Amino acid sequence: MGALLHPTTSLCRTCKRALPALVEAREDRSVWLSKSCPEHGAQSVRLSTDAAWYAATRAVKPVASAPRRTPRPVHFGCPFDCGACAQHGQKVRLPVVTITSACNLDCPICYVYNKNDGTWHMDVAAFRRILQHLKDDLGEVDIVNFTGGEPFLHPEFMTFLEVARDAGVHRVTICSNGLFLAKNEPLVKRLGELGARVALSFDTFDPQTDVVLQGSRLVEAKLRALDLTEKYNVDVTLIPVMTKGMNDHEVGAILRMAMERPNVRHVELHTITYTGQGGTHFDPSRSGRISMVEVLDRIAETTHGWLTREDFVSSPCAHPLCYQIAYLLLDPDGGPPVPFTRFMPREALYACLAERLYLEPSRALEDALQDAMDRLWVSDEPEAERTLKILRQLLGALFPRDRVITREEALRAAERASKAVYVHSHMDEDTFDVERLAQCCDSNCAEDGTTIPVCAYNVLYKEKEAEFMAAPRSWGERSGDVKLRRLAVLA
Amino acid sequence: MTGRLEGTRCLVTGGSRGLGRELCLAFAREGARVAFTFRRREADAEDTTLRLRALGCEPQCFQGDVADGAHAQAVVGALTRAWGGLDVLVNNAGVQHVVPLALLEEPDWDLMLNTCLKGPYLFSRAALRGMIRARKGTILNVGVFSSERIVEAPAHYAAAKAGLRGLTDALAREVGRHGVRVNMLSPGLLDVGLGRMLMPHRVEEYRAQAALGRTGTAEEVARMAVFLVSDENTFMTGARVTPDGGL
Ligand code: SF4
Ligand SMILES: [Zn+2]
Repeated sequence: MGALLHPTTSLCRTCKRALPALVEAREDRSVWLSKSCPEHGAQSVRLSTDAAWYAATRAVKPVASAPRRTPRPVHFGCPFDCGACAQHGQKVRLPVVTITSACNLDCPICYVYNKNDGTWHMDVAAFRRILQHLKDDLGEVDIVNFTGGEPFLHPEFMTFLEVARDAGVHRVTICSNGLFLAKNEPLVKRLGELGARVALSFDTFDPQTDVVLQGSRLVEAKLRALDLTEKYNVDVTLIPVMTKGMNDHEVGAILRMAMERPNVRHVELHTITYTGQGGTHFDPSRSGRISMVEVLDRIAETTHGWLTREDFVSSPCAHPLCYQIAYLLLDPDGGPPVPFTRFMPREALYACLAERLYLEPSRALEDALQDAMDRLWVSDEPEAERTLKILRQLLGALFPRDRVITREEALRAAERASKAVYVHSHMDEDTFDVERLAQCCDSNCAEDGTTIPVCAYNVLYKEKEAEFMAAPRSWGERSGDVKLRRLAVLA
Repeated sequence: MTGRLEGTRCLVTGGSRGLGRELCLAFAREGARVAFTFRRREADAEDTTLRLRALGCEPQCFQGDVADGAHAQAVVGALTRAWGGLDVLVNNAGVQHVVPLALLEEPDWDLMLNTCLKGPYLFSRAALRGMIRARKGTILNVGVFSSERIVEAPAHYAAAKAGLRGLTDALAREVGRHGVRVNMLSPGLLDVGLGRMLMPHRVEEYRAQAALGRTGTAEEVARMAVFLVSDENTFMTGARVTPDGGL
């Protein structure tokens, strides 16, 4: 037995019943979550390889930002009251809209439940209602993320984009495996015209690994999709799912490509989850499981230190163990990118991220940059001069002296001067921790106005929906009358 | 109906775009004869020319650097020959450069001071010879921008602006006895120039601070300028007028 870090509520990996759980640090500094199901026995999973990092990160308090509207009563207790309920800690910052169950792949690691026969498509009217709910809740809808399935397979996909644009959504991102894009140049062109962004899954450069993780050879098609999006100025977020021993050694190469390709704005590294139609059965020993801090360390190794764990901060809009974010300034002269934390304190970067999951020009950011410039200027370190030069070029791009640019052009110039790397750690039944869930800002949005944290959605709620499951599980079956909040309080 | 500047001979420096262009157009609408200078943007200058022609005004257009004394002499000389004199000089040419001290290099300083301070001195001196002789004329100095910017009031900008105020005050005093008026117009954030480039949160901050709750338009500032340089403005000199929505 190790040292208790904290109690929480988790789920049985087999019956998904809520279970009291303990998170403990062991002698070898690893962190484990343990629980026991009366029916399916004791279960434990390693959450981290570094207890000190885990505890220090968990101690970061997210900014309190409860949702304005909580349509569901607190009845069964977390996680069975999502919608959200009044105990939820974060409003929705990343609304996710699932518009189709159709997919043109059948990835072994897929973590959502989809069925390809008898596909379901959301109708546009439903999406309009979702937008209206979001507007009521948030005032303005900054960003919407379309997912599926493969969203491009929705026969009316373009209408969804136009509706979002007409509603004034600033950023529309579309999760895609890229296959449809690779074969459909006019579509990519249209995305560029509409200013839509693509979140492209990209796990590996190695065809063998590709077959194991995604079930077929996709590298070429994905690179083609990247070329096309570059051609038509479509911004891309790369989404590699990290699996230990499979592709974690490739993270440096993926990041390097992201830095080099001008239209790749962000990389969002996911840690593998063993849930959903693929994930539940993929790799029964679950030996590929990798924790957030391991991904951070793999990044440092494979980038030879141009990006290290100290360059990351938690997101203030979520539980600190859910997102780690690093921002990097690009060197127009070709030098290695400079993480923001090398010229501003981590607290300053953290503060600048208080409003969104991504950086936007703000007073806080301006002040932090001004401080940074002064500090760099008075510093004698050789890197300081290079960084200052980069910042000077950035200001030059924002306020060119030889021409007047519009605000949109300036925003774009600012965006293009930097890139972000996220490590986003979704949960499955094994790693499920309601403390994290209750601080989630990433929610699947439904027509009836409910918003469900994506981890809860993927692990629990999506099963409810006939559209996605051939045989939906009855809801009361698992939570029954048990007041789970009481379970979380351990004897 | 005759305009408020009917037949008035006006020269605007930096008139190819932004507020400068709007000033040219407003003057032309009031019946003025208009000349303007520009440094680099030929396409913009051409555009301004076409717009002025559409208003029935055939402008004189000069390319050059306001900080070049020979250019200032040549422009004023050419206008004196063409029009027989000059009634209004608007020193509008400026530099948009936003930079903190850490990044403020000597060439930046020189460019700012040359354009925003030496330029008005050179053009004023060239124009005043004729104005004093005619015992009539008016100079309007445009304060480049207010302090709403990405990093507050860069040092070279603040220095140039303070210098321009000093120049306005001193000249007003010195040439008042010849019947020549010198004023300064310092608009707030507008829908042209910097106001179009600033990040949204900056514009929001401006709106929040302004009593009128909005940014201005070049057109309304130009209307103010029409009054300031017109004969209706008989008793104001050495003044600073700040149409800024009430900051
Ligand atoms: S995740 Fe949030 S909304 Fe869902 S039950 Fe827990 S506290 Fe309520
Ligand atoms: Zn069980």
